[in-house]
Amino acid sequence: MNNILIYLVVVPLATAFLIPFVDIFSNKARKILVGFSALFEFSIGMYIITDNYAAITEHTFFLKYYLGNWIPPIGITLSMDMLSLFFSTLISISLLFIITYSIGFIGHHEGKYYVLLFLIWAAMHGIILTGDIFNLDVFLELMLITSAPLVAFKRDRNGTEAAIKYMFFGAIGGLFIFIGVVLVYFNLGTLNFADIAQSFSLLPLFIKKMIIIFFLIGIFIKLGIFPFHFWLSKAHSACPSSISALLSGVIVKVYIYVFIRLFFNVFGFDILRETGLDIIIIVIALTSSILGHVLALSENDIKRMLAYSTVANLGIIVAVLTLNTRLAILAGLLHVMAHLLMKVSLFTATGYLLQFTPSHKLQDLKGVAYKNIILFAGFTLTAAGMVGFPPMIGFFSKWHILQAFLDRSFHWGSITVILGSIIAFFYYIKYIIYGFKTISIGPPERFRLILSVFYRERVVTNIAILFAIAVVVVGVFFKLSYGPIEGAANAIMDPSIYIESILGG
Amino acid sequence: MSKLKHISIVIILASLGLVMLLDLNKIPNQFEYANSIYHHITNNAVGETGSLNFVTAILYDYRAYDSMGESTIIFGAVSGIVLLLSRKTLPVSSHGLSFIVKRTYGMLTPFIFLFSVYIIAHGHLSPGGGFQGGVILGAISIIFSIVYGSEFDYKRYTPTTKTLLETSGALLFIGIGLIGIIYSGSFLSNLNILNSEPGSLLSAGSIPFINLGIGFKIGAGLAIIFYSMIQKTFKEEASL
Repeated sequence: MNNILIYLVVVPLATAFLIPFVDIFSNKARKILVGFSALFEFSIGMYIITDNYAAITEHTFFLKYYLGNWIPPIGITLSMDMLSLFFSTLISISLLFIITYSIGFIGHHEGKYYVLLFLIWAAMHGIILTGDIFNLDVFLELMLITSAPLVAFKRDRNGTEAAIKYMFFGAIGGLFIFIGVVLVYFNLGTLNFADIAQSFSLLPLFIKKMIIIFFLIGIFIKLGIFPFHFWLSKAHSACPSSISALLSGVIVKVYIYVFIRLFFNVFGFDILRETGLDIIIIVIALTSSILGHVLALSENDIKRMLAYSTVANLGIIVAVLTLNTRLAILAGLLHVMAHLLMKVSLFTATGYLLQFTPSHKLQDLKGVAYKNIILFAGFTLTAAGMVGFPPMIGFFSKWHILQAFLDRSFHWGSITVILGSIIAFFYYIKYIIYGFKTISIGPPERFRLILSVFYRERVVTNIAILFAIAVVVVGVFFKLSYGPIEGAANAIMDPSIYIESILGG
Repeated sequence: MSKLKHISIVIILASLGLVMLLDLNKIPNQFEYANSIYHHITNNAVGETGSLNFVTAILYDYRAYDSMGESTIIFGAVSGIVLLLSRKTLPVSSHGLSFIVKRTYGMLTPFIFLFSVYIIAHGHLSPGGGFQGGVILGAISIIFSIVYGSEFDYKRYTPTTKTLLETSGALLFIGIGLIGIIYSGSFLSNLNILNSEPGSLLSAGSIPFINLGIGFKIGAGLAIIFYSMIQKTFKEEASL
């Protein structure tokens, strides 16, 4: 029993409750509280890593926590294995920087904005740490409810419409997951992940199929995989760029985590293979990937283009994870990390550039590179990484994905990856060329600040450049990330470790 | 064209519903899973938690962490609605209903308040609890606004007070959880303070206090939601 796990959820939650309280008395105290809590939460994550460093390097790391001292099948269990640690670390790092970015970027209604941001942080850690299927549903709902108002943060027609769509489809996805939870409890009489995993295979086949289908549809709606991809681009592009980075970079990765945890550890991958669903998932996900790339190519709006690129990359991640070989899971997790870094980098840079243009349209971006040439160079590098050029992390993750597909001789997958990269090259180069185009009127006259919500320009540019540097640096030293990713892959491949660690003493 | 679309949607939904119904029919009516937590809770809940109400025992003791998440969903919804509907100016109206309605509600309001407190405080003994009692508490503010006009509500029970009540309810919940760590080593474990035999008002350890925290959080939260929404309609009225 280690109390540290619960603090990962309670610290952002308590911060969210404290912000309106402090806000009544002083604005400045609230700002200090926000910065301090973000750092504190981040350092808790770092403390877990340093404290268990030996166990992490040996891949035997496992922490668990019984809430209210109730032993597993009865109460709620929190647990952290290598897989949760990988996702938790990614989330902590990216949210710390997104909050720092927001300090410079968001200039109005800051009080409620940070309340919602910290609630999202708490919900993400709740999802990642929980070992209970109903608790998972509660925190999924919390994440949806708290992120929907942020989509409508600009309070214009477009944003409101996007938020209603986001809310509506998210709620429908949540409903499917909830029906799945009800069916699981009805048939097994338990809600604990490990307990479900132990007895799930004893159920009749049609009940297993039904439960799997409900969870699959729910998660696919939330992820925006092919038949349900239509709401995602609007929702991820209508909000301020800090929220776009959060939605498109981080929140979708939490859904990927839910997908992995449920289908590899809880229900077991055998049921997917038995019913032949794994091939169907791969085909759907690959279709989603190609469709995302094509829609991104046809798009004329930079943020919607980036959002469609998220659809494409999520399709690839789901497809490669469903191959269920060791190499494939390694590649999938590597691409989760790569896509998170690159998408946050692209959206943070875009958020800065769009402050100087009248709209998000391609034509208005003409010559925007000269506004801040270093930042635009970072944008170009990250876009190159997204396409798959060598020194960036995007190349290595795509390389692994390609190898994984070739390894299983699943050639449609390899063709999709290569074709996707070629299409991606065309839609990114379009924006980069327009960005570097010189114009007759000098940049200073053309690009003055259009919105008045831009407080600390330097913070914003530094964070955007920092993420671009991270994309290159992590790419060059990507071998260092092999250790933790292999540990996470072990946890995915062998569900018995998870079951025994929770139920056994 | 649109008629055809509607008909095809109805046909698709009906056939999907039929498939689901046939599948659901196959599920056995009674599950007989020997190790179900259901058996454990029905046999041991009173002894282990001291609460006579099993639902409350599950909500605030066995799965108190879930209730924390659920009440936080309301908190998040309140924050979101305030974020989206908040205006700098606060147009308030002193128009209320007629004298008779005002006097009647003037007499009834204390009893409504008493009822909500009763529901919250007896959550571990009878049906009810923080969520249900909190909704009634929130209704008082709504009655004030409708019957006496929002100006009355605004003066008696300002948005700052509501925010204070809401956050203090939320912090009380977390505080009880953190005291659990000090007291018995686990977050949200049932505290053995102020415990008498099951059935009396101050029993069931920390369950009544969690109920109180949730009651304030929900009541003040719903009042804030209502208040943010009427602000908007009053503004629209003024512009007409």
